[in-house]
Amino acid sequence: MPAALHGDVDLTDLTDSEAKTQSRALNQFLAGVEVKAFKIAQAGLRNEDDALDAVQDAMLQLARAYADRPEQEWKPLFYRILENRIRDMQRRRTVRGRVIAWLPFRGEDDEEEPDAIAQAPSPEPQPVKRLELDEAVGALEKALEGLPRRQQQAFLLRTLEGLDVAETAAAMGCSEGSVKTHYFRAVQSLRAQLGDLYV
Amino acid sequence: MSLVDETLTEFERNARVVLAESLARVDARTRSRLNQARHAALDTAAARRRPWWRGLALMPAAGAVAAAVLATVLLWHHQPAAVELPLLEGRNASVEATDVDLLADSEALDLMEGWDGPFYEWAAAESDANGESG
Repeated sequence: MPAALHGDVDLTDLTDSEAKTQSRALNQFLAGVEVKAFKIAQAGLRNEDDALDAVQDAMLQLARAYADRPEQEWKPLFYRILENRIRDMQRRRTVRGRVIAWLPFRGEDDEEEPDAIAQAPSPEPQPVKRLELDEAVGALEKALEGLPRRQQQAFLLRTLEGLDVAETAAAMGCSEGSVKTHYFRAVQSLRAQLGDLYV
Repeated sequence: MSLVDETLTEFERNARVVLAESLARVDARTRSRLNQARHAALDTAAARRRPWWRGLALMPAAGAVAAAVLATVLLWHHQPAAVELPLLEGRNASVEATDVDLLADSEALDLMEGWDGPFYEWAAAESDANGESG
């Protein structure tokens, strides 16, 4: 039978109702992780468009290759794919930076016009509490960007996504001991920088 | 749990609140693009799940195209030759071979170009007349 086999499950054997259930579950999963994934990618790539591309690629890859896996495996798989994508983009950017550094005319073409709508101030009133929160968010994001990538990843997967140590290890492709080490160092570093704002 | 751990937990709790706030600040444009990306991924998953027999739904269209191609090929091969002159009775292969030799031989073509029809007709008539009288 010319069925498309993948992994342990023959996807073509799914009934319509099973397919709809799986599609609904995948939609729910992706909807639940997409914004967090975007923030994690943004912290690693420091560019909104690149972060969106990375998340989109990770979503497509998960849907294409791992949708038939058990749902509880999706989250570590998704973040593993996302992390690989972020690393690839960082490497490509490094190579591109080296090449551009040798070019006689550079820089001007890469500067995009700022989005007027995105830059416009929000009409929403900002009370003192919101300003404090603004400051805390800005400081945390800046401090996160300064962390080594592995520490950043361990901290965000544990704190933002809420993965446990084992899931974080699966997502990062390292041992649980390494996750604990990276996480501990990340927290120490962030506390040293943000202690006044957070305690 | 040590005091250090409790302090760490407090820090983590605060960090979690701030990170949640940063999620809430993701703008509508970004959320829209993430939504589009999600639906593209779901379409990809749905395409993978589609059973092979669903492809049979496309069979009528594919069959029609195949039939049209087949009919075109058959018509092309059964088309009559453009101009095919009927063979004259009594004309045999040696005569045809002679024609070919004439065409291939440049001197013979010169003879053909210098064809004096009335003379040969007259000579033939004379020969017939002599035969009848003789």
